[in-house]
Amino acid sequence: MSEEWEPKIIMFCCNWCSYGGSDTAGVARFQQPPTTRIIRVMCSGRVDPTFVLDAFLEGADGVLVTGCHIGDCHYINGNEKTKVRYEFLKRVVEEFGIEPERLKLEWISASEGDKFASFVKQATEDIKKLGPSPLKPEVVE
Amino acid sequence: MNVGECYIGWAVDEDVRKRGGSGGLVVATLAAALEKGLVEKVLVLKKHSTYDAEPVLTSDPEEVLASAGSLHAVPAALSKKIPYGVKVAAVGKPCDIRGMYQMALRQQFNLDDTYLIGLNCGGTLPPVPTRQMIRVMYGIDPDEVVHEEIAKGNLIFTTRDGQEHAKKIDELEEAGFGRRESCRYCIVKIPTNADLACGNWGVPKDKLGAATFVEVCTEKGVQLLTTAVDAGYVQVEPASDKSKEIRKKVEKAMLDLSAKWRERIFVPIENRLEFYREALRHCILCNACKEVCPVCACGEDSKCTTMPSSLETHNHEFYHLIRFLHIMDSCVACGMCTDVCPAEIKVSTLQARYSLPFQEEKGYVAGMKLEKPPFFEVE
Ligand SMILES: Cc1cc2nc3c(=O)[nH]c(=O)nc-3n(C[C@H](O)[C@H](O)[C@H](O)COP(=O)(O)OP(=O)(O)OC[C@H]3O[C@@H](n4cnc5c(N)ncnc54)[C@H](O)[C@@H]3O)c2cc1C
Ligand code: SF4
Ligand code: SF4
Ligand code: SF4
Repeated sequence: MSEEWEPKIIMFCCNWCSYGGSDTAGVARFQQPPTTRIIRVMCSGRVDPTFVLDAFLEGADGVLVTGCHIGDCHYINGNEKTKVRYEFLKRVVEEFGIEPERLKLEWISASEGDKFASFVKQATEDIKKLGPSPLKPEVVE
Repeated sequence: MNVGECYIGWAVDEDVRKRGGSGGLVVATLAAALEKGLVEKVLVLKKHSTYDAEPVLTSDPEEVLASAGSLHAVPAALSKKIPYGVKVAAVGKPCDIRGMYQMALRQQFNLDDTYLIGLNCGGTLPPVPTRQMIRVMYGIDPDEVVHEEIAKGNLIFTTRDGQEHAKKIDELEEAGFGRRESCRYCIVKIPTNADLACGNWGVPKDKLGAATFVEVCTEKGVQLLTTAVDAGYVQVEPASDKSKEIRKKVEKAMLDLSAKWRERIFVPIENRLEFYREALRHCILCNACKEVCPVCACGEDSKCTTMPSSLETHNHEFYHLIRFLHIMDSCVACGMCTDVCPAEIKVSTLQARYSLPFQEEKGYVAGMKLEKPPFFEVE
């Protein structure tokens, strides 16, 4: 690694809002670092906590879960469920000794391109400060 | 008889009263429930030795009566033994009853059809180390033991020759023996979530060992006890205020002791990732800890057992991560996962590092009510 280290971030985006938010960010040409690998899901409620844990075990330096603002869920209350699950998940991740900054939950609507870009920017900066994830298996760079 | 009332009671049959852990009320009540058609089956422990017993689901009142006695060195998995759609009466320690609530919550059986008799519990002993303890600390052959008893902080073994051998539990625990680790920090000592909560705390001196203190906790409890009294199986008298007071006092002393042990056991850890890695390093993914867990109802195709790949060693952690996550709101800290682990990993204490503070923060104790944890409700 001769160049500056860039984190690998897995980002879960909801089809109805934050995925659209990423489009809006692109169309409006908001600058953001190319650190994320976006996985589109139909609802943030689809993000099983095991997806997140697996991402960490497979070498992700950070995981971002994003969905519609509370009250705006396409499936009525999927994001409310995300909120409950996330609380458990955060607890396990932190107790296991993984820095809390590596896991984030944010609500981003399809029109909030600027919010999307600045969220990715901020998350990247935070994770960069921490360096590679301590859970990274030795074979993954 | 009403909910909330407390009694001192015993089995009318002299032989049952004598063989009972504390007057035989529990087995007599269970047998009456069978005889009078309140239930179709009863879940009790069939004793093989002081250190070994198996849960049996029986419709034979004689087998129920034969189970009389408290087995302190037998932690048994009971919650998964209650079948769906059968009227059952079951007995168990607080952690057993709490596990049963979790199973009912997960629709494994219907709590309305189930009568639960809870036993107060100061703790259980691990069978194999206990045999060693009897050799080392008492200087006797564990196979010579015919009776065991806990009284006034002493653990007393009676041998075949009629001799009693007593030692202070505190002393045994300082020497590395004594109760299982989870029992030392257990936070429910009187199972008021059961229909009847029974124990020897608060039994007046003249009846000690020959009667049980019973708290009637629910309408089903009223039904159980009145059925047993009306059938002539059990005799009761109201518990005096003094009895109730003593029981409360001892319970408080035990809970204070638990709090002290909790501080000793759950010391803060600097590098947690390393700590968990080291602690779980020898896990062979046998899944025994999940199989025995009284609150896990996932069955065979559970996420925690099917998702980690046995080829990729780095994702072995997955199994425990999923379990820690899944059980965090419902672990009753019974300690059975530790009991069964072939790699001698203290699984339950690792789990409790997550679940105890989490449940406490949320202001609830797992397995005490049938409702889902409050924060689980999504409108
Ligand atoms: C491990 C243990 C610890 C206890 N600690 C206390 C205490 O600290 N303070 C207190 O007031 N009371 C305690 N008790 C309760 C007390 O010993 C008596 O069980 C209770 O008073 C009822 O007495 P009994 O004669 O009516 O019960 P019995 O009529 O003798 O019936 C006892 C029933 O309990 C079942 N049983 C026995 N051992 C176990 C076990 N290990 N796990 C699950 N079920 C079992 C048997 O199958 C039987 O059906 C404890 C009981 C146990 C089993
Ligand atoms: S965990 Fe609690 S209820 Fe269960 S055996 Fe130990 S002390 Fe008794
Ligand atoms: S995780 Fe372990 S201690 Fe907790 S309920 Fe299950 S078996 Fe008992
Ligand atoms: S019982 Fe022990 S070895 Fe088996 S899966 Fe559980 S922790 Fe691993």
